[in-house]
Amino acid sequence: MKQSLPSTGQISLTRRQSLKLFAMMVAGATLPGCFGQSSNPVSNTAKAGHWPTLTIEPISLPGYGQDPNLIVPPASAWPKTLTKQQLDLVSRISDVLLPAEGAKPGALSIGAPSVVDEWVSAPYSGQQRDRDSILRLLMWLDEEAQIHHQQGFLSVTEAQQKAILDTIAFGESHAQAGYEMPARAFNRLRELVLAAYFCSVPGSREIGYMGNVAISGDYPGPTDEAKAHLDDVLAQLGLSEYAYTEAG
Amino acid sequence: MADATHQVLIVGSGAGGAMAAYELTKAGIKVLLLEAGRDYDPKTETPMFKRNADAPLMATSTADKNFGYYDATVDGGWSVPDEPYTTDDESEFLWWRARMLGGRTNHWGRYSLRFSEHDFKGKSRDGLGADWPFEYADIAPWYDKTETLVGVCGTNTGLDDMPDSAEGVLQPPPVPRVPELLVAAAAKKHGIAAVPMHRAVLTRPKDDRAACFYATPCGHGCSIGAAFQTTTSLLPMAQKTGNLEVITDAMVKQVNTDDSGNVNGVTYVDKKTAKEVSVGAGVVILAASACESARIMLNSASDKHPDGLANSSGQVGRNLMDSTGAGLGATIPALKNRPRYNEDGHTANHLFIPWWGHAAQEAGEMDFPRGYHFEIGSGFREPGAGVSGDFKGYGSDLKQEAIANYGASIYFALRGEMLPNEHCYMDIDPSVTDKWGIPVARFHWQWSEHELNQVAHGLSTAKTLLETMGAEVGELPAPEQAIAKGGQIIHEVGTTRMGQSKTDSVTNQWGQTWDCPNLFVMDGGVFASNPHKNCTLTILTLAMRNANWLAGQLQQGAL
Repeated sequence: MKQSLPSTGQISLTRRQSLKLFAMMVAGATLPGCFGQSSNPVSNTAKAGHWPTLTIEPISLPGYGQDPNLIVPPASAWPKTLTKQQLDLVSRISDVLLPAEGAKPGALSIGAPSVVDEWVSAPYSGQQRDRDSILRLLMWLDEEAQIHHQQGFLSVTEAQQKAILDTIAFGESHAQAGYEMPARAFNRLRELVLAAYFCSVPGSREIGYMGNVAISGDYPGPTDEAKAHLDDVLAQLGLSEYAYTEAG
Repeated sequence: MADATHQVLIVGSGAGGAMAAYELTKAGIKVLLLEAGRDYDPKTETPMFKRNADAPLMATSTADKNFGYYDATVDGGWSVPDEPYTTDDESEFLWWRARMLGGRTNHWGRYSLRFSEHDFKGKSRDGLGADWPFEYADIAPWYDKTETLVGVCGTNTGLDDMPDSAEGVLQPPPVPRVPELLVAAAAKKHGIAAVPMHRAVLTRPKDDRAACFYATPCGHGCSIGAAFQTTTSLLPMAQKTGNLEVITDAMVKQVNTDDSGNVNGVTYVDKKTAKEVSVGAGVVILAASACESARIMLNSASDKHPDGLANSSGQVGRNLMDSTGAGLGATIPALKNRPRYNEDGHTANHLFIPWWGHAAQEAGEMDFPRGYHFEIGSGFREPGAGVSGDFKGYGSDLKQEAIANYGASIYFALRGEMLPNEHCYMDIDPSVTDKWGIPVARFHWQWSEHELNQVAHGLSTAKTLLETMGAEVGELPAPEQAIAKGGQIIHEVGTTRMGQSKTDSVTNQWGQTWDCPNLFVMDGGVFASNPHKNCTLTILTLAMRNANWLAGQLQQGAL
C-alpha cells in the first residue's frame, strides 16, 4: 500500500487498495458513509463487444490542496472538461435516470450534469478512474447508436435510446456478453447522478434527511413512530425480550 | 539553565502539550509552547452546518483531504506536504499528522474510555507486553479531574471493562437511536452488552463552551466548543493566565543538551522564514505525538547520548503500537424504509459494545490475549457522494431503491488492543530528510497472531450480530486481509514507554526520562501498552497528572 516516500500518487494507491479491502469486508452489503470512488476501474481489455480503446488524457492539475477554505469552498476547484456533446449526453442520461416527477425536481434541474462534470474533471486518482470509464461510456453510446441506427445517441428516438440503455442498465452481471464494460461504467455514472440528486436540498429532503439543524436542550431521539417501528422489527426478529434498557 | 527565558518549553499543542501547558501555567509557571503547524481558530474556521453539496466532489475523501473536504485537519492526513516518512520494504504503515494549533484534537473521534487496572497490568496477568508503572487507583482521581475539565458524557455502567467515574463527573449521554437499539437487542441475545459511549462532548455547558446542539459532524471541528479540542479549551484557558507564549509554524529539529547531558533548550525551524532558531529552557516537554517526539529524540544524539537523546535503554522508537481495526457491515432488511427522524445526535456512537470477554479470556477459552470493542456505524446521515442500494434501471424504482436503503445498513468497527512486538518500531531513515533538512521517521511493522486471531474473532462475532438482525452476510475475509494497516486507526503509541526500570523503558511514571531529569514526554509515546479504549483521554490524564507533578518539582526547586 505504501512504499517509501508518501506522495499524492502513493497515497491514492493506498486509498484504492483500502477501498478494495473495504469492498471485501462489506461482504456484498452496502454501508453507511461516503465512499464515492469506484473500486472497480473499467479496463479497456474487453474481449467481446465494442468498447472504445483510445487513450484518454488524464487531468494533470493540482487539487484544492491540504488547507482549502472550508467556510467558503471553491465554487470551481478545477476547470470542468466535458465538451458540450459529452455534457449533453450526461444530461440526457441524468434525465432518464431521475426525471422530474410532479413537484419533485429531477436530476437535471438540481444540476447533476454539472456535478458529474466536476467529478470527471477532478485531478484525483479515484475520479480519474471514473473519468476514464465514463468518457468511454459516452463514446460507446454514440457508437452503439451508430451501429444500430446510423446516428449519434442524441439523434435517435427516445424509444431507441431506452433500448440501448436497457442493454447496460441492469448491472454488469445481467448484461449480455460484450456489454459488461459499458454496464459497469453506466452503473458508476448512475451512482454519481443519484449522489448528486440526494445531496441537493430537495433530494436530501426527499430521501428523508432531517438533520443539520441545531437543537436546543437534549437530543430528542427517535419519534414515537420510529420507536413503534423498532418494536415491530424486534418482534419480527424474535428480539423483543432483549430490548435495550438503561439498566442494561 | 540560568539564562533560560522560559521555565518550561513544550513541543506540541495537541492533547498532551495543551494539557501540560494548562496545568503548568495555572501553577504560575512560564511556558513557551512550540507548534509545528499554523495557527488555527475554530471559532472562525470550522465549517458548521455546511452541506456536502457545497463542497467539491460532494465533500468526498481525496488525496488532499483524506477524511473528506470538511475534516478539520490542516496540512495533514496520511501525508504532510514536504514532510515524508518511509517504511522498510516489507512494511506498511500509515501515519496521520496534522500541522495546526491543537493538532489532531481538532478532528478526533472524542471517544473517551478509561483504562482499567486490568489494562495497566496485562503483563502480570498473561506475561505479554509490559505493565504500567502505577496502579489504576493512582490515576483514577486524575481521570476524574480530566473528565471534569474536558467534559465527558456517558454513564457508569459497572462493567468490568469500564471503570466508574466518580459521582457527578460524567455528563448525561444522549439517548440511543434506532439502529443502536437494534444492535443492543441483538447483542444482548448473545450475552453481550451495548452501553452508552463515553465521549468528550458537552451535553451541558461548561466554562466558555456551549452544550452540543446535535448537528454538524465533530470531525469538522466544533466552533461552539461542545466537542473537546484544545483550541477551544485548554489553550485559551492557559493563555488567560498570562503565563503562556505560543509560537506556531515552529518545527522542532532537535533538543539541545549541555556538556553534562542535561537538556537546555531546543532548535526549531521557523517555517515562515526557513531559518533555524535556538531557544533556551529549563525543562523541555515533548508532546509532539508518539512518533514525532521519538523522531526528535533520535535526531538529538550527542556525545552524552550517542544513540539518541535519553535512549540509554535503546527503547526510543521501539514498542510502537496502534489499535487493531477491522469492520463488517450489511444491509438490515428490516430497517429498509424505516420512519425518518433527525438521527444526527452528537454525530458519533451513542451506544457501543465494550469488551465482554474478560472472563472467557481468564478461563483460557479464547485464542487471543487482549480485548476489543465495537463501534457502530449506522444512521440517517447527511447524503454525500455515496448512495446505498442495489441499483438497476432508472426512474421511480431506482429512486425508491435509494430511499429504501437509506439508513438501513449497520457497520461494526472493531478497535482492539495489540501487543508490542519486536517487528513494530520506528527509527530514523538514514537517507531521507524532509523539506527542513530533518531526517525522517522510518516505520517497521508486522502484526502477530495475537492481533489476527482477535480480528478473526471480531469478524465472526460481527457476522453473528448482523445475522441476528436478519442480514445476509457472505463469506468473511481472512483476518490478514481484513485487519487495518499499522497506523491506520491513528492510535500510535509506545515509542517512549514508561516503566519501572531505566533498562527497559524511556521514562518513569511521571513521563520524566530516566537519562535527563529535565526532559519529559507527555504524549502517547509513554504508553506501556495500548488498551483497546482509544488513547486520547489517557494522554490528557497522564499529562495533567505529570505536569502537576512537574509543577511541584519546580516549585520545590528539585529541577
